[in-house]
Formats: sequence, C-alpha cells, structure tokens
Amino acid sequence: MSTIPAVELVETHAPGLGPAASPDLGPCPSPAAPDPRKLESGPSRQWAPHAAHHAAAPKSGLAASAVKEPMGELALRIGKRAGRSVATHQYHRGALRVLRPHYLDDSGQVCYVLVNPGGAYLGADLFLLDVDVEAGAGLLLTTQSATKVYRTPGSFAEQRMALRLGDGARLELMPDQLIAYRQSSYRQNTRVTLRPSSSLVMAEVITPGWAPDGASFKYEELRLRNEIHVETDGGTELLALDNLLIRPPLNDVTGLGFMEGFSHLGSLVVVDARVNQALADELHALTAGYKAHTGMSLTRSIAGTTGLVLRALSNSTGELNSLLGACTALLRERWHGQAPLNLRKY
Amino acid sequence: MSDYQLALQQLVDSALPTGAFAHSFGFETYVDAGVVFDEGSFGVWLAAFVGQQLTYSDGLAIRFLYEGAEVGELDELLSASLLPRQVREASLKMGGRLLEIGTEVFPSPELALYRDLVTTGRAAGHQPLAFAVVARSLGVPFPEALAAYLFATVTSLTQNAVRAIPLGQNAGQRLLRGGADGVAAAVERIPHLAPDDFGALSPGLEISQMRHERQRARMFMS
Repeated sequence: MSTIPAVELVETHAPGLGPAASPDLGPCPSPAAPDPRKLESGPSRQWAPHAAHHAAAPKSGLAASAVKEPMGELALRIGKRAGRSVATHQYHRGALRVLRPHYLDDSGQVCYVLVNPGGAYLGADLFLLDVDVEAGAGLLLTTQSATKVYRTPGSFAEQRMALRLGDGARLELMPDQLIAYRQSSYRQNTRVTLRPSSSLVMAEVITPGWAPDGASFKYEELRLRNEIHVETDGGTELLALDNLLIRPPLNDVTGLGFMEGFSHLGSLVVVDARVNQALADELHALTAGYKAHTGMSLTRSIAGTTGLVLRALSNSTGELNSLLGACTALLRERWHGQAPLNLRKY
Repeated sequence: MSDYQLALQQLVDSALPTGAFAHSFGFETYVDAGVVFDEGSFGVWLAAFVGQQLTYSDGLAIRFLYEGAEVGELDELLSASLLPRQVREASLKMGGRLLEIGTEVFPSPELALYRDLVTTGRAAGHQPLAFAVVARSLGVPFPEALAAYLFATVTSLTQNAVRAIPLGQNAGQRLLRGGADGVAAAVERIPHLAPDDFGALSPGLEISQMRHERQRARMFMS
C-alpha cells in the first residue's frame, strides 16, 4: 500500500460549527442547550423522481432543510491521471472530511475514508456529500467507523449524498454499519446518477440501534432512501428507488413481513452492464453459506445496464459484513482482478 | 345510485380477467416455509402486506394520480421501486390487462393517453395506475376508489390463500372481514403520508417475494 497525498486540502472551518458535544465522552450525550438550528416545516418534496432534492442543489431554497446550515460538507471529484485515480477537486467544511487517500492494490482505484470528526450525528444536523467519479476513474469510499445517530429530540439528523459516475467510472461505497441510539431520527438520501457503462457497488448494514438497557429498536425513525438514475444522451431515467423506512414506535418492526425476528438488515446494490441472472444465481449460491435470510432480484434494464439488489436479515453486523464481503469479493475478482477488501488492516 | 357504482363494481370484481388468481405476492414463499399455514397465520401476512407494501406503493400511487401527478412519472417510480422482479412483472401483467379491458369498456382520453405511453414504450403500464386512471375518469371519488382497489386486492389474495393453503370457505370470509379493517385503516392513513414515503419497503415481505423466484414447486407466478 502506498500513501499518496491528494491535492491540497481546503479547510475553511467556520467558528461555532463544531460538534455540539463530544460524543467520545459517552454513548448517548445530549446537548445541554437546545439546538439553535431548529428544523423548519416538514420537507415538501415532490413525488417526481427528477424533482427529489439532492446535495447538488442544497441552496435552491426548494427543500425546507435548505434553511439549515450544514453541519458538515464534503465535495470530492476523482479523475484518472496517468493510469491512477486521483482527487482533482476536494473541499470540506465543518464536521466532515476524508483521510489521505490510499491505494490498496495496483488497480489504480483510489480509496478514501470518510471521517466525521464529531463522531456522530445529532438533532437537526445536516451533512452534505457531493462525489463525482469522472470517466474511467475508480473510487472506493468507506468510513472510519460506524455511523452513529444520537438523540435528536423533535428533529432529525440528515445526510444527503449526490454521487455522479461518468462513462466507465467505478464506485464502491462501503460504509460501516449504522447505529441509531435511543430517541434518534435519521434520514439518509443518496442520489446516484450514472452512465450505462458505469459500475456501482453499494453496501449497507443497519443495526437494531443502541439503548442503555440493551433493548433493540428504541430509535424513532430511520429513512434510507437510494435513488439510482441512469443518464444517457437521450435523458435520465430512474432505474431503482430503494426506500427503507423503519419507524419502531408505529409498527411492529420485529415481526413477520418486516424484520422476521432478526435484528440486523444488510443490503447490497450493484448496477453494472455485466449484471445478469447468471451472476445473481452465483451470488445467491454464495449466500447459502451464511447465517442470514436473504433475497435477491434484478431491476429492469435501462440502456443496457441492470441493477441487482440483495437484501439480508441476520443477527449480527459481523455475519452480514462477511456475507456482503463475500459478494463484493466475487465482483472485485471477476470484474477487476482485485483481491477481497480488507479495510480493517489499514 | 351514483353514476359510477356499477362500473366500479365491475372494475374490482374478482371475475375481472386480469389474472390476479396467479399471484401470491410472496405469501407462497411463507407457505412453502411453513410460516403461513392456517387462517391465523395468513391473516398476519395479509395485515402486513396491506398495512405496509400495498399502502406505500399501490395506495400512494393511486393518491398521487388523483392529485394530478403525471401518470408517466408515477409509472417510472413504480417500475423503479418494485425491486422484486416477480412483483414488478405482476403489476405490469395485470396493468396491461386492465388497460385493455378499460379501453374496451370504459374508454376515456386519460386512459387512451396512458395506453399510448405504454404501447410506445414510454411507460410500462402498472396495475394501480391503470385502475386509478379508469376510476378517476368514471368520477369515482378518491377514498372510494382507494378502498375498492385495496379490498379487491385483499379479496383476490384471500381467494388464492383459500386454494393454496388450503383454507375453508368460511375461514376465507372471516379473513375478508378482518382484511376490511386493515383496508379502512390504510384508507385513513394514505392521505397523511409524505411524498418521500412512496415505495417504502418491508424487508421481510420483499425477501419473500425475491425468494419466490427460486422456489421449486409453485402455484403462483409471484
């Protein structure tokens, strides 16, 4: 592994935008003073696929949360220079930054590790991420640790991510698991726009959360919404809308039809022109070796590219990480001649 | 009697040949696993299906159409959010039949427009949208149309369960009576949902619908 500095970091820390409390002090800190960044009215989002808000237009004034000052912002553009993927633009502000890039092998794919220096998301926090992978470039984006959402009384923490993949561009998005603490609400909106020749792999693990008494599902609400749009010269079409909404206070989330008695949920979404039924069958066979209840299906195809969605229920983050890791290892080997990911060794 | 009453009855009659008898929307996977095996266990599945998937997908799609959303954009949203392939195909198969039947017996400019989008490849043709376009053109008020659609789905699924599990005819009628409460609750709830709620998935239901693709012996196409 070589460690190459990326372009100069642009740091513009605005005073007073630091984390409201140090989450390292305890598992569930609550800010002593009410958060001044009050949530305004509820978002009045359009149903239309193209009108959904995303990080690319946070200041449009259309989304209610645009009135919020973002707690953290990150923009990253990856291009291909002399056979290697490098950051051609990088900007961050507030409680969001990336570590220096790594190259885990000689494939040219660059690996960035996302860091939330505050350690967690708190009430009304808004985090904006804007990631562009230019034609032919490859990015592996992961996190330094689990995403933790602490108490968000009367409000919600929110992450909006806009991801754009150029022709032949490749993105692996492999964040650590999400942990929502007691009385927390969190919304994660990810909008991907890719070309028919792009390659996307995104994995996610959602835990039952954390409460002091050890009980599960004590958070208020989790919304994780992924929109994947395929852009062709003729226009942009919605390939997949993957919308997960878990509201423990309203529903029996543990029972039949929802979590089926399991505690953890894992998802893998792959979009690539090479996705087909034979690949789904192969991945399905792989899943049999894990203690998980899984299902897999293909999306429709748009302009020759197809999505594959794997959903898995299990009782531990470790089991789901192993399962999702086995699937991504197959894809890395098959499509890119790469070894399985082993991020923890770095 | 309202102008639309008999038309609506025809539209939601389980004898309407859309092929609903061929779809279990994943309950057959639970039957195969021995999780759904009698009146009570099917009732649990039915309540989850109506309260979750049917509410957030079909129910919200019907509401958005009544609120004036473009049918083509809703069609795209449904195609993208119905991630289990067999469920997406079921919606399109029944939607296609409904477009055909509707064109024959309840023609309207709105229906002609949707059908045109489908035949020219600009839309896929989903069942709840085809239903909503016809019901709206007939002047059926939204809550009535929504309740009729949801209950028609409950009816066909219950009939399929009676055949597949199998259950007695009286058990089927008790399930319908219970299902009606679930439908009423959904009709209350759907107007209050947020646009971002559209397509909210239930992992267990979704996994069972995906696993159905790999089930060896099956009576249903979904």
